[in-house]
Parts: sequence; C-alpha cells; structure tokens
Amino acid sequence: MSAKSVSRSRGSSLMAYLFLAPTLAGIGIFTLIPIVGSLVLAFFRWDIISNPEFVGFQNFTEAAADPTVLVSFGNTILFVVIAVVLQLGLALLLAVLVQERLPNWLRVFFRSAFFFPLILSAASVSIFMGYLFNEQFGVVNWFLGLVGIPAVPWLTTPTGASTVIILVYVWQNFGFSFLLFLGALAGIPKEVYEAASIDGATGWRKHRNVTIPLISPTTLVASVMAIISALQMFDQPYVLTRGGPGDATRTVVMVIYETAFKRLEFGKASAIGLILMLLIMAVTALQFRLSKRYVFYQ
Amino acid sequence: MGDSTRRGDVTRRALLGAIGLGAVGATVAAWPRLTGSDIPGRGEDRLTIAIIGTQADAEARANLVKEFERQNPGIKVRIMAIQSVDWQDFFSKILTMVAAGTPPDIVNVATEGAQLFAERLAHPIDEYVTRDKEDMREYFADVHPSLVEAFMYRGHLYQLPIDWNAANMYYNTSAWNAARLPDPAENWTQVDFRAALASMKQAASGDFVPYYWTNRLFGGVVPWLYANNTSFLKEEKAPGGEWLWDEFYGDSPARSLLSGGYLWQQPNADAPEVYESFDFLRGLVVDGLGVRPEGGGGNTLVGQFASGRVGTTPAGGYWVQGLHEAGMKPTDYDVQFFPRWATGEGSELQRHQFGTAGYAIMKTAKDKEAAWQWLKFSASLEGMKLIFSNPNTTPSRRSMVNEELFGVKGPKHWKRFYDTLDRFPATGPIPAPPQQGSVETALIKNVSLAVSGSEAQMKSALQSLQRDLELALRSNA
Repeated sequence: MSAKSVSRSRGSSLMAYLFLAPTLAGIGIFTLIPIVGSLVLAFFRWDIISNPEFVGFQNFTEAAADPTVLVSFGNTILFVVIAVVLQLGLALLLAVLVQERLPNWLRVFFRSAFFFPLILSAASVSIFMGYLFNEQFGVVNWFLGLVGIPAVPWLTTPTGASTVIILVYVWQNFGFSFLLFLGALAGIPKEVYEAASIDGATGWRKHRNVTIPLISPTTLVASVMAIISALQMFDQPYVLTRGGPGDATRTVVMVIYETAFKRLEFGKASAIGLILMLLIMAVTALQFRLSKRYVFYQ
Repeated sequence: MGDSTRRGDVTRRALLGAIGLGAVGATVAAWPRLTGSDIPGRGEDRLTIAIIGTQADAEARANLVKEFERQNPGIKVRIMAIQSVDWQDFFSKILTMVAAGTPPDIVNVATEGAQLFAERLAHPIDEYVTRDKEDMREYFADVHPSLVEAFMYRGHLYQLPIDWNAANMYYNTSAWNAARLPDPAENWTQVDFRAALASMKQAASGDFVPYYWTNRLFGGVVPWLYANNTSFLKEEKAPGGEWLWDEFYGDSPARSLLSGGYLWQQPNADAPEVYESFDFLRGLVVDGLGVRPEGGGGNTLVGQFASGRVGTTPAGGYWVQGLHEAGMKPTDYDVQFFPRWATGEGSELQRHQFGTAGYAIMKTAKDKEAAWQWLKFSASLEGMKLIFSNPNTTPSRRSMVNEELFGVKGPKHWKRFYDTLDRFPATGPIPAPPQQGSVETALIKNVSLAVSGSEAQMKSALQSLQRDLELALRSNA
C-alpha cells in the first residue's frame, strides 16, 4: 500500500470517528456511565443525602426476600406474556389485512393511523384512558350500560385493572410491530404465493406455509423489541392504578422507582434494576437461540 | 472526472468540512442556550426557591418577588416552579436536585414532606424567630397554633405555615334538596351521614354517586380514622417547643395541647377503631353509597361535582376557585364539618384532618439570612395578600379567610374552613413521618383492597397494611 493510500485511509478513519463521535458520546454519557454507576450503586446503601455505604450483596438478598419485588416480577412476566402475544398477533393480523385487502391509498392511511398512538405520550394516553374506564362516569361503562351490562369496576379490581393496563399498552404499542410486519409482507415476492397456489395452497394454509416462515426474521426482531419494551412497563400502571389495587398491577420498573424515590433506597433500586437487566438479557439470548430453529432466512 | 468539474464543483470533503464548521459555529453561537446560562438568574448569586406548580399563577408570584426585591435591595430571587403530579413527586424532584449537587436554597414543603425535610434537609428557624420575635408576634397572633405545630419537629421549628386546608365535607345542595334533607348539623355523625347518602341515592337517577372519595393521604381514609379518634400510625408528641409556645401562644386555649411536634413511629392498622372505620367505608362501597377509590384518582372530581353527579366529597377551601371556574354558584353547594363518630372518644372530639404548607430553608443554603427574609416576607400580611388573590387554598392567617376572599365565590358557610381549627382543637395534620413516601404507598396499596371486597379481604388487607407500615417505618429517611 502506498504512503498516499495509507494517509487517505487514516483520513477516512478519522472522518468516520468524527461522524460517530456525537452518537458515541451520547451513548457513553446517557447509557454506559449510568449502567456502570447503577452497577456500582447496587453494592452500596445510599439515600441521596448521606454518603454511600458499601454493603456487598445485601441489596440483592433484600430484593430477593421482598414480597413486593417478587410480586412485581410475577406481574411483569404475566403482562409481558399476554401483552406481547396480543401485540404481535394483532399487528400481524392487521398487517395481512391491510396488505392484502386494501388499495394503496387506504394502506397509507392505516399505516399512519395505527402508528399514531405510539407517538403520543404514554402518560397522556393513560390519563385519557383513566377517564374512559372510570367505573362511575366512564364512556366504556356507559356503552356497556346501553346493552344491559352493569358497570364494570375496571380500575379498582385486580382483574379489571390488569385487563385495562394490558389493553392500553397493546393499543399504544402494536403500531410499531404492525409497520415491521407490513414491510416484511411487502417484501415477499408474488411468485412465491403463485407457486404455492399452483401447489394447491389457499387461505390460511398459504399464510402458514409461506407468509409466516418468510416473515420469521421480522417476527424475531418484533418479538425481541416487544418483550424488551413490555418488561419495562411503567407509565400505564403508574398513572392508571398506582400499582393497585393492592399490588395487582405493580411492575418491576414501578418498584424500582418507588424503592429509589419513595423509600430512598437507591442501592436496592439499582440491584432490582440490574436483576431486570439480566432478565431482559436472558430472555433476548433465549430468543436468539431459539431463532436458529424457527427463523427462516431466504 | 474532468478538470472543469474539479475547478467548478465543491468536493464532498470540502462540503462536509463546511457543514462541520457550520455545526461548530452554530454550537458556539447557541452555547448560552445549550447550557441554560441565558435563563434569568442562573449563574448569578440569587436565592433559589423551588415551589410546586405551573406557570398558571406566575403573575402573583412575579408580584411577590418584585415587592420582596424592592424591600430587600441586596437580595435577588429566582423562583423554580416544578411541575409535579403530587407532593411526593415534587419531593422526588427536589431530592434529584440534591443528588445532582444543585439543591435550591428554599423549598415550599407541605405537611407530607415536613418531617423528611426537618430530619434530613432543612435548617431550623428557631434562632431567627427568637431574634425577630417582635416582628413575628403579629404573624403568630393571626395563625392557629395547630398549623405551626405541624412544622415543629422534635422541639425545633422548620417552617412558617403559609396556607392550609382541612378535610371538610362538601355537599351538593341540589342533590341534598332533591332528597328533602335538612341542612346537616355541625355535630352530625357518620350514621347521619350514611342515612343522608342513602336518601340522596334513592332520590337520584342515572349515574349519581352519593359519596366520592380518593385514595390518598389527604381526604381519603384518614379523616374517617381521625373522626373515630384513631389513625393508621400511632400518634405521639415530642417534648419541647416551649420557647415558641410560651412566647407567642401563652394565652391560647390550645396551649396545653401544644408540643415539640408530632411523632409517628409505630404502625396502628391493627387497632379495633381502625377496623371499625374501614368497615364503615367498606359498607358504603358495598351498598353503592360510595365509590371504590382509585389510586391517585380525583382528576375529574371538580367537573363531576359541578355537574351534580356527585353528592358529597371531602375537600377544603382550595376547592372554591375550581368550583367557581366550573360554573357553580355559591348556592349550588355548601360545606360542613366532617362527621364525628357516633360512639367512643371520637364522639366528643370530632377530630378533623388538615394539611399545611410553607417554605423551608435548606441546610445547604448559602445565605440563610436572606432565606429567612424570604420566609418572613412570604408570611407577612402584605406578602400573603399578593399571593392569595383567589380562593384556591386557605391562607394560614385567620384574618385573610374573610368575606373578600371567600364571601363572593365561596359557599354559604365558608367560615367553617377556619372554624375547623378554632372550634376543634384536637384537629391534626396529615400523618407524615420522615418515611412518608413508603408510608403513603403502603396505605394507598392496601386501602383499595380493604374497602372493595368482603370482610375477610378487609381483614387481610389491614394485616398487610400493618406489615407494610412496619417495613416502611424501618426504611431510610
């Protein structure tokens, strides 16, 4: 390699680093440093006001023995399972309907309409939904009353509150998965469907044997992102129910917030945060491991 | 590529370089904005004051600051209005500022956080009150000692109450009259109250709710516990405080009750009176006379009450302006003292609940003398008249709870707001130990379950409340 090309190569590398610098600085300052800080803090007792005190693994053992923490993990896992299944199922169903049954101009409309809730603030949506699902004055119970169904205590019973939180979460988040699926469906060559038709595949069988395998890489991405997002559910239960009634809708992130800012146990909150991070990493790793068996790359 | 192209066109590298230079130039030009150094007062030697609130009442605050700065030429003030869902949320944001190393000099603190601040963050004002006792005499003569006692912690005073609110009972006169009910007596009991709710329900139609309440420390289950002369925490009083009481409240009829401040160190959810009060509320819910309370609810309450869909609800003087803005005339509703308990000690006391707020000087404040001047001015009649131009709270000064503030917009019996203190000396503050955050979480979590199901569920929820409170009182702060 000539001296000139080496110099040009170095110049290009420098330019590349300069372009990457703002993003790397952002990740470093706002992601990496807080992660490292949280990792360190998990081994200390710290109430913000006094000096931190090293306590070893005590925060982890206390978190593991705290019934509220355990319940919150149970709630979160239940919410994730139901919400992610609903979110992906609804998104895929609507994507197939929009892609196959609608003209192009309507497809554009629905693409925007389904994505719209995602750009709204989750807190605002939750406040609004709180009005809709109010037992006494909510529109939902008013409509149910029209068909003779008595008022449902949506937000004040464990089952009702969990149902509303999952519905609100899915309504607000399925649009992203929908867009991913729509893109994947548009990328399937028509010839594949034609070949399947010639082989006698129709309706559901065509989707089972052609659509689902061909969009499986997208399904993997959508499910990984949906699970990571749902494991961090906070706004909906915090605004709608404050985790109640009892602990019925208390999620892990809510407990992290309460432990840190209400109980001033920042070390324990960091420990719970790290446990959640490990859970997210484990679930994601499992998904990628399973993907070798179920994901089909063309 | 031809020579002409090389000469005439800008190369990609040159273009990128120009963009880079442009970005650097723009960053330099915008530096004051990016760093916030163009925000008035930042970086200067100003007294920083954190308050809960929005820009809604900015004009009154600006007038207060302007007058304070005019009277104290050497002191510049910067108000930081911190938008928060509730007091707990506000305190969390203040704690974040403390952790970031940028604490304000003064914080507006309500009863909910008074002991947290007193224990960890605030500087006592005993020396200033004692030094300026002649200036302060007029203030204390105008303010009920129970409000001051709420800011006394282990014998030291940390704040001067500026405003407060009692949990009184608002009732909708149209619903009340439709049920042909006479005006409730001032010494009515919970039995009378329940009978009135049943009558209103019978006379009403549609989605009418006789009693609407929210699940929180103020106005939730606590007034019903106080009415029964109990609480979910064991209430004790610390010794001390004579330096203040003897100086300013020596002649007060309440003098013998005044102490070095409240202490809440033990849970009390297993007391029979607590069970009794919870069971009363559960009965209201079961019989459709009261709502199941939502956690943090109450957003729609003013509108629902103004539209006549709510019969009664606990609230204080702060509600008058909201109801006025919602279109209610003073004759559309009235206010009565909270009912007393029909039996036991609560029957004689008719104890009520209140919450108050005032400014606290932070331990870290650079110029505590300037901070004290702010506290003194805010508590002066002049300062309070500047800030309380509307009845959206109850001023701590008795003389300001008057015809001018409440007579036009307020209900017929607006005098009951301050009478709640003057006529019932046992009236007490929101129970809020230094661990208030976790205590409130424990209460809200278990109240909703306790009043929404069977008696067995209530017993289980109260046991859970007792356990959670034990843990909460052992936690930090």
